[in-house]
Amino acid sequence: MAPTVTVPTPLPEKFPEGTVVEQEGMDQPTWVVQREVLKDLALELRDGPETQFDLMLDLCGTDYPERDQRFEAVYHLYSLPRGERLRLKVPVTEDVPTLPSLIDVWKACDWFEREAWDMFGLRFDGHPNLRRILTHEAFQGHPLRKDYDPARRWILTEDKIYRPHPQPPEGEDDDDIFERMTINIGPSHPAMHGTFRVVATLDGETIVASEVEIGYLHRCFEKMAETHTWQQVIPYTDRLNYCSSFINNVAYCKTVETMLGIEAPPRAVWARTILSEFSRIMDHCVANGSTLVDAGALTNFWYMFQPREEIYGLLEACSGARLTVSYGRIGGLSADLPPDFEARCRRLLEIIPPFIDDVDGLIAKNRIWLDRSVGVAAISGEEAVNWGWTGPCLRASGVGYDVRKAHPYDLYDTVDWEVPIFHGGDVHDRYRVRMAEIRQSLSIIRQLLDRGMPEGPVIVDDPHIALPSKEACYNQMESMIYHFKLIMDGIQVPPGERYSMVEGANGELGFYIVSDGGGKPYRVKVRPPCFPMMSTFSRLIEGGTVSDAVVSLGGLNVIAGELER
Amino acid sequence: MIGESWITTQIAALEGWAQRNSFWPLPFGTACCAIEFMGTVSSHYDMSRFGYEVVRFSPRQSDIMIVAGTITDKMAPVMKRIYDQMPDPKWVVSMGACACSGGFYRAYHVMQGIDEVIPVDVYVPGCPPTPEGLMYGILQLKEKIARSHRAQAKKEDSRGTDGDRSDAAA
Amino acid sequence: MSHPNEVRPYRYSLSEKLYLPLFQGMWITLRHFVKNLVRRKPEYTIEYPEERRQYSHRFRGHHILTTRPDGSLRCVACFLCATNCPAECIHIEAGEHPDVNIEKYPVVYDIDMLRCVFCGYCVDACPEDAIIMSNNYDMAFFNRAQSIVSKEDLQKPYTVDPSVLGYRPSYPEEDAMRARLREGVVDLVEEARRRHEASPEPPKAAAG
Repeated sequence: MAPTVTVPTPLPEKFPEGTVVEQEGMDQPTWVVQREVLKDLALELRDGPETQFDLMLDLCGTDYPERDQRFEAVYHLYSLPRGERLRLKVPVTEDVPTLPSLIDVWKACDWFEREAWDMFGLRFDGHPNLRRILTHEAFQGHPLRKDYDPARRWILTEDKIYRPHPQPPEGEDDDDIFERMTINIGPSHPAMHGTFRVVATLDGETIVASEVEIGYLHRCFEKMAETHTWQQVIPYTDRLNYCSSFINNVAYCKTVETMLGIEAPPRAVWARTILSEFSRIMDHCVANGSTLVDAGALTNFWYMFQPREEIYGLLEACSGARLTVSYGRIGGLSADLPPDFEARCRRLLEIIPPFIDDVDGLIAKNRIWLDRSVGVAAISGEEAVNWGWTGPCLRASGVGYDVRKAHPYDLYDTVDWEVPIFHGGDVHDRYRVRMAEIRQSLSIIRQLLDRGMPEGPVIVDDPHIALPSKEACYNQMESMIYHFKLIMDGIQVPPGERYSMVEGANGELGFYIVSDGGGKPYRVKVRPPCFPMMSTFSRLIEGGTVSDAVVSLGGLNVIAGELER
Repeated sequence: MIGESWITTQIAALEGWAQRNSFWPLPFGTACCAIEFMGTVSSHYDMSRFGYEVVRFSPRQSDIMIVAGTITDKMAPVMKRIYDQMPDPKWVVSMGACACSGGFYRAYHVMQGIDEVIPVDVYVPGCPPTPEGLMYGILQLKEKIARSHRAQAKKEDSRGTDGDRSDAAA
Repeated sequence: MSHPNEVRPYRYSLSEKLYLPLFQGMWITLRHFVKNLVRRKPEYTIEYPEERRQYSHRFRGHHILTTRPDGSLRCVACFLCATNCPAECIHIEAGEHPDVNIEKYPVVYDIDMLRCVFCGYCVDACPEDAIIMSNNYDMAFFNRAQSIVSKEDLQKPYTVDPSVLGYRPSYPEEDAMRARLREGVVDLVEEARRRHEASPEPPKAAAG
């Protein structure tokens, strides 16, 4: 579903003068909106036939202490039919940091608004449950404010832990309320994949109400990014979605590269595309493998981990680490490809398909799996878009949005591949989309390998961005000076802001970066693809049984490192 | 009297031998390290070769806790409680930089090493450690336990002979 | 354009309703079982610690401080590695070197192995080739104090076995390989295929 029209959205006229102003010199259309008209504008943007901004991608706060209106809430919108992006900025003051909640317009705002409250102290009027989401209950202050000390910790003791009691909405079942039971699942529970906590109220075995608690792996990525140089942020990005860390490298590096106005050399772009696809395969293997484990199909987990181990070998040969590769650099890659890169890739293309076929043979038509997955946690395309979904899970609901097709980057527009779409919207189709995508990824890699490896360097030849080669550094005074300067001061990125995205393994992985021209990022916001999906989790599991909830969490493939950053 | 102490030390030795050759690990996995832990137990590295494959998520059934991944301040009370629920004897392997020391997250929500709340027996560095690294750490723990058992046995032995002597004196 | 507002779940085929494809699955696991039974050595399992996975020579393991031919450290205590380290795990104290040609040397050079995230940024930063990484991943500590590795210990792995080198700034053998490649002496794909055909065992080195 490639978007056909890309006409910049015209400024609406019906709002009073000065309440909606277009900001010049931005990477994408940006409107500065006064908070009084925000809700009306949002409704207009969502429903207007010429706007159709149906997807709320990201909401974040920014802090500019020197401004009169200190905080800004930044919304990133996307119109699936038009393929057009829009950024809304709503400035608010420190004294009255309130905005209207847009939860009625886009349900995706639910958790994003809670996050903005937690991190910046922005208050959203009309939000039903404006609690802290990432930090813990005993936390004080708002950590992403510029005046918050990055290392200031607060200790949580057991008596302060929040104990939710989700209550189902008042309804017809009130008479048998005495049979209800509230159970706690997680955060350390095998079904919760590590770090989520679900408190569910059960009627028999059916979940009638639930509350999801996250934040158990909030590692302060965004604050850490503000305290490190541009290049040093790369190891941190590895640990966002640690199942496919190379894609995060690429997403971050590409964003900074566009801010610098440079492009990675062809050899680096070629390698990035191939390794991104391998990373996607790894991620899908984990997602499907762990979903199947949750459903009791353990054998597939072993089969699915074999391709992963093989791909680790390739990534390790390139970068030196299996999981957290740190292979991307701003401007290219950290080191040239190993000499046997192509041979290794070819070998992987032979090794991987038998495992995928084995899993499909065990599972695809297996009625036990079908009974566990078909119709479980189903969500329609329309609803999923409203909740802010992207990626394989959205494509399982019949909406074929894929950044690689809609806004091709790297080499994706030069290869022949298609976006797999299914219409069940349930766990089973999420599984099928991932399996189909693994095959598509293999096909992309094969085509790129057939094309041949471009010659040349893997990083831009600019002493202000890339470290000079070691030989030059040892032998030439000038290179040595550049080397020292680059390490001591870091890359200097011109002031400005940029949102740029790639198709991560879970959906649109975006980076919204603000630079003030210094050696460190001013603000880095990740648009984590699984954050909106996890916010839907309560809605997905209510009405199902506990065992269905377990399978549906696996199907969403929520990666805590990315969800909570 | 001598026979009795000989039997108890032999039983203790047998118990120690069984203990260190069949850990039941509790994977307290939160982040990237948990993925490598999965790699360790899956077929490429296959921890069951050492007898450590009985991965139990219930603290009541396990004797070695492998803390894999970043522990945040929000998670700390949970981890402490799970550690308390484990029956003695119990050991803790801290896997990876984050669990050992907080790693490069010197940040407002990250615990600077799990030894702030629970005792750690073996620290395995790496971010994340390779599966071999983790296995090395666990094998080191095995050695450590064997050493402590030997020391224990020695102590019991000498106490046993002391006891005999005092009995004889009496 | 509106999005689909209802879901169309998967429809079972007749054979699926009758559980027939289960037998196909059993055949797959049986095949794997028999294959592993008749094979003398497990196909995938690496029997650490007796057998080790062949990691590449870019592996980012335990650090090594390199030395000059006379045995002194190459490090000139310029602090670039400590500056570039995202984990701030390198602690250096500089001192005057008795040799006037060398300005400074590290009196103290400690790496906190438990803080280190093995990202290789120190190697990238070093202008003297003084810090490189080894292939050594066998590390475990019993207490935090033990994990602060001093400059004396950091020199050790280099002298023990030079073949366990890991991540470092340049790879002479790789550059030589690339030069031969450019001259058309070797065709890597062909060579890998030949090597693969020569050994029926899946090559561990290629697999990772």
